[in-house]
Amino acid sequence: MAAEVAGGLALGLLLVAPPFLPPYFLEILISVMLFGYLGAAWNILGGYAGQFSFGHAAYFGIGAYTSTLLFLRLGVTPWLGMLAGGALAAAFGLLAGYLSFRYGLRGPYFSLVTLAFAEMLRVVAVNTKAVGSSLGLVIPSREAAPIDFVFGGKLPYYYVILAMTLGAVWITRRLERSKLGYALRAIRENEDAAEASGVDALGMKLRAMALSSFLTALGGTFYAQYFAYIDPSITFGPAVSIQGLLQAIVGGAGTVLGPVVGAFVLTPVSELSRAMIRGRAGVDVMVYGLVLILVISFLPNGLMGWVRRRPAPGRS
Amino acid sequence: MLLEVDGLTKRFGGLSAVSGFSLGVEAGEIVGLIGPNGAGKTTVFHLLSGFHAPTAGAIRFKGVSVVGARPHEICRRGLARTFQIVQPFVNLTALENVMVGAFNRTDDPAAARARAGELLEFVGLGARRDTPARALTLPDRKRLEMARGLATGPELLLLDEVMSGLNPTEIEAIIGLIRRIHAHGIALLIIEHVMRAIMALSQRIVVLHHGEKIAEGRPADVARDARVIEAYLGAEP
Repeated sequence: MAAEVAGGLALGLLLVAPPFLPPYFLEILISVMLFGYLGAAWNILGGYAGQFSFGHAAYFGIGAYTSTLLFLRLGVTPWLGMLAGGALAAAFGLLAGYLSFRYGLRGPYFSLVTLAFAEMLRVVAVNTKAVGSSLGLVIPSREAAPIDFVFGGKLPYYYVILAMTLGAVWITRRLERSKLGYALRAIRENEDAAEASGVDALGMKLRAMALSSFLTALGGTFYAQYFAYIDPSITFGPAVSIQGLLQAIVGGAGTVLGPVVGAFVLTPVSELSRAMIRGRAGVDVMVYGLVLILVISFLPNGLMGWVRRRPAPGRS
Repeated sequence: MLLEVDGLTKRFGGLSAVSGFSLGVEAGEIVGLIGPNGAGKTTVFHLLSGFHAPTAGAIRFKGVSVVGARPHEICRRGLARTFQIVQPFVNLTALENVMVGAFNRTDDPAAARARAGELLEFVGLGARRDTPARALTLPDRKRLEMARGLATGPELLLLDEVMSGLNPTEIEAIIGLIRRIHAHGIALLIIEHVMRAIMALSQRIVVLHHGEKIAEGRPADVARDARVIEAYLGAEP
């Protein structure tokens, strides 16, 4: 009950407070939501199915590049381009997933292969003139045009990413209580025992992969529209992959709210340490690293695991 | 015939784990599979449940070959198994563990939950339903393993040493449980080292030694078979 009240209060604040925030805090809040969203997308495959992808930048980049190229070259609104990017990313995810899972790659081997796929796309993007090579792509600044996913101020972007994050949380909650959700957790716990219990491990992992990569790609489009600039190292680089999984792991992998909670802790730590420690390059990153080490050492199940002390909910 | 195995052979490199093994199990029958350590009993289970591919031989379940089928497909057809070393989903509750199996026969979470609850009661774990599997004792984990297998809705259940590591009281309880499973019309193929239990339960016993079947018959006859005694105790000097 207390949890519901706290959740409702937090949601109310997220809906009502932002218009009154100074621009700097609004920007931080947008980052929190974007990272929380990416974490939630990663969490479906990494947290629930236990398949640790180090290469979700591949899907993020596919999303960012697809919608941006469709818009710049053909004038297709990024709202549609976003879905096209999602579909393309899901297709790529299914291909990468099939190649990895079909040949029995588990654990760290799977992680390395996903990293390789993302790096491969980065190198292709760097070397392809048609997609701007290493210079990347700029979405020219112009009048606000909501139909083309271009807004005048930061506030509308905030509400877009808030809606996306709430959507991802809602999907995760639905997933957790579904047959697929049980199958994924069973695979995470013990793939052989899951198979012996009638779980089609390959098929279920591919579904998780498709959903996770689709959602990640939508985040890529949001990023492109918000910053109006993308390049291969930003969108396909390992940093994006790491961001997604860090939020989920710190907040609690395999929990509905973990990734968002993780983003609310990690992003402010990163921003504050950067703002407060000026003039000593790298110290802020060290502080960030220290927080990570502390969380991972003392809260192996993430913040949600610590709050709940019970990683897998399932009450009806 | 529910299960027909003919000329089943499995070689790992130069080692023959199982060779020319044949076996039939009728619907509703209890068959014991015994043999000294390393005889190939668990390999037979891995072959029947699709975890290993046979080198040669045929396996037909309900008249249809299951050679080459993946484990979940075999489970879906009604042939379920337990593991010798129990394999619970440790971070899921007992109820959730069994629900995973129950989803084999339904897509509806409420129905899976209800079925899992019934089966936990059936195996005597009703009071443990919300306990994470990692917190269960070994005897409880064995029961959980059986409940999860039953939840998949099998016509034939393979039990791999569900009594090992249990004390005599717990063994009695498991014997009772196996009889109750059998009373529901489910056929059982049981690997067991607890002789008293397997002799009491089985209608027929098959003895495996060095991957080959050396005897088959009623428990009393098998127990007197000279080759079986030799396999277990060694030849007289």
